[in-house]
Amino acid sequence: MADQAMIRMRGVTKRYQRGGQLLTVLDKLDLDVPRGDFVALMGPSGSGKTTILNLVGGLDAPDEGSIAVADKDITAMSRGDLPGWRSRHVGFVFQAFNLVPVLTALENVLLPLNLQPLSRAERRKQAEFALEVVGLKDRMHHRPRQLSGGQEQRVAIARAIVTDPDLVLADEPTGDLDRESANVVMHLLRRLNDEMRKTLVVVTHDPVAADHARRVLHLDKGVLAREVTNPAPAGRSAAGAGGAR
Amino acid sequence: MKAPWILVGRNLRAHWLRTGLTVASLVFTLFLFCFLVSIVTTLEDVVRQSATNRLFVQSAVSLFQDIPLDYQSKIQNVPGAQQVTKFQWFGSYYQNRDNFLAQFGVDHEVLLDMYRREMDILGPDGRASEEARVAAHAALAADRRACIIGEGLARDFGFKVGDTIPLDSTFFRMTDGSSWDFNVVALYHPLKANFDDRQIFFRFDYLDEMRRAGRCLGSEGVGVYVVNVEDGHDSAQVIADIDGLFANGPQRTMTMTEAAFQALFVSMMGNVPFFLGSIGGAVVFAVIFSVVNTMLMSARQRTHEVGILKALGYTDRAVGGLLLVESLVLSLLGGGLGVLVAVTSAEPLRVLMGKFFPAYAVRPETAWWGLLITLGIGIVAGVGPALAAARLRPVQALRSEG
Repeated sequence: MADQAMIRMRGVTKRYQRGGQLLTVLDKLDLDVPRGDFVALMGPSGSGKTTILNLVGGLDAPDEGSIAVADKDITAMSRGDLPGWRSRHVGFVFQAFNLVPVLTALENVLLPLNLQPLSRAERRKQAEFALEVVGLKDRMHHRPRQLSGGQEQRVAIARAIVTDPDLVLADEPTGDLDRESANVVMHLLRRLNDEMRKTLVVVTHDPVAADHARRVLHLDKGVLAREVTNPAPAGRSAAGAGGAR
Repeated sequence: MKAPWILVGRNLRAHWLRTGLTVASLVFTLFLFCFLVSIVTTLEDVVRQSATNRLFVQSAVSLFQDIPLDYQSKIQNVPGAQQVTKFQWFGSYYQNRDNFLAQFGVDHEVLLDMYRREMDILGPDGRASEEARVAAHAALAADRRACIIGEGLARDFGFKVGDTIPLDSTFFRMTDGSSWDFNVVALYHPLKANFDDRQIFFRFDYLDEMRRAGRCLGSEGVGVYVVNVEDGHDSAQVIADIDGLFANGPQRTMTMTEAAFQALFVSMMGNVPFFLGSIGGAVVFAVIFSVVNTMLMSARQRTHEVGILKALGYTDRAVGGLLLVESLVLSLLGGGLGVLVAVTSAEPLRVLMGKFFPAYAVRPETAWWGLLITLGIGIVAGVGPALAAARLRPVQALRSEG
């Protein structure tokens, strides 16, 4: 396992105003995720799982505490600096895929690459490679509505990894998928961790999906309730044999 | 600023009906704006291009009150009055009253010389030349029924040199109920935009002869004398001298420059220029709401997309800029087309409205103003949604319905 922390959260508190009430979603949370780890966050709705992803990805800011990603304190970064940092270091995978419907699969994957200092040809080559990794190069000119849910999510994964980020954050990546597609997606994420050494944090309600992670962190009412290390993550051997297709 | 500009075109195309309708409303609005402004500027041009060294002498009572014929020799003797011609509105029409014509009884001996800067005379080959002017002069002198007509009128009614045109007059009706006959001896080509190419000039002495013989109705006298001021003389002084000459009657005169005379005509239309300008302004104002509404709808539908782009690393400025550019593209597409239609349709419209606005034209500055307004509409419509999108936190945007 890695010897360096990819994510370090210290005393992180996040509150939301809901219906006139101030809800504490995360309460002085401390969390470490080593580089190269594959962590599944589980817990009941409202336990703060997605909030952790949003904070670690710099999409939202904590009310208290600090968050360092790859030794960079992102809570000290300005709102103007965060997008650039995000484009270089973080890849997102969402439950609802979040592809831009008017763009093809290839163009969706090219979106984060347009922010990188690459030539047009390099961007195209890299995007095609990412689509090849997820097994969808032959569908690269299809629009999202012409793809199945599982294929859409694989395009979203290609988009998340195309800039070669250190960290991939996935929020319920199998939530909108049938079991078969969910397995394909989780195998793929597993491969990213195994073969590309990406650090993965996956929020899920699905114990089968969580089975692919090396560690499962259970959250309850904004605090870490339990941590389980998975001695034999599911699909490891299959992924190693290229079973993510 | 790096932004996924491809989304501008894709989103406009994806909502083609909304885009099409907004573009159509902009095309219509900017065309209307250019058209109305051009009507106003055309009226201004008529005044601006009118000569200040040509005077119009009319009755001080009213334009419709004739002044005596013996005034001409007295006006001719005023220092600075180089040439004088009668200019009698004939009030004619061809075949039916819808085809009313701007026809004037003039002194054929001086007309072609006095209006040398306003019209060229076309020869049989259709080209202007001094020979054609001399020939037309001679033809006018040789035939009491002779007339010269504008090329626009010839084009509209198919008249040509050698034709005899039967015309009726509302002011000088023939007592036996027949029509007047005029022989076309030459066509003229206007040299100034404000000089109508649909006029008819005929010999005043023919009219006078018919009136004296009792062959037609109408009183003795003339509506207007036109005076060319000799170079080196002050028009204001000549005006004062002419009006001073008849200050004690029998008919007082009111003399003014051609420019002032045309301005008087424009002012007789009341506040039409203001009215037209107001309509144009109101239409532009109304379409701003339409485009703002389109952009607000577009931005609202795209909130989720804004969240995606921000999550991928696009800056607030890039995302806001995307919406602003979309608004600008939309408005410039519609507005630009509207201005283009206004400019390219100017000549057909001039021909179509020849009776009323023979000098109709879209000035370049009107087109530029149209484009500037288009740009303004794009900015006004886009800046609100752009700022809102820029300010939106990624998490908020991602939570919205896609």
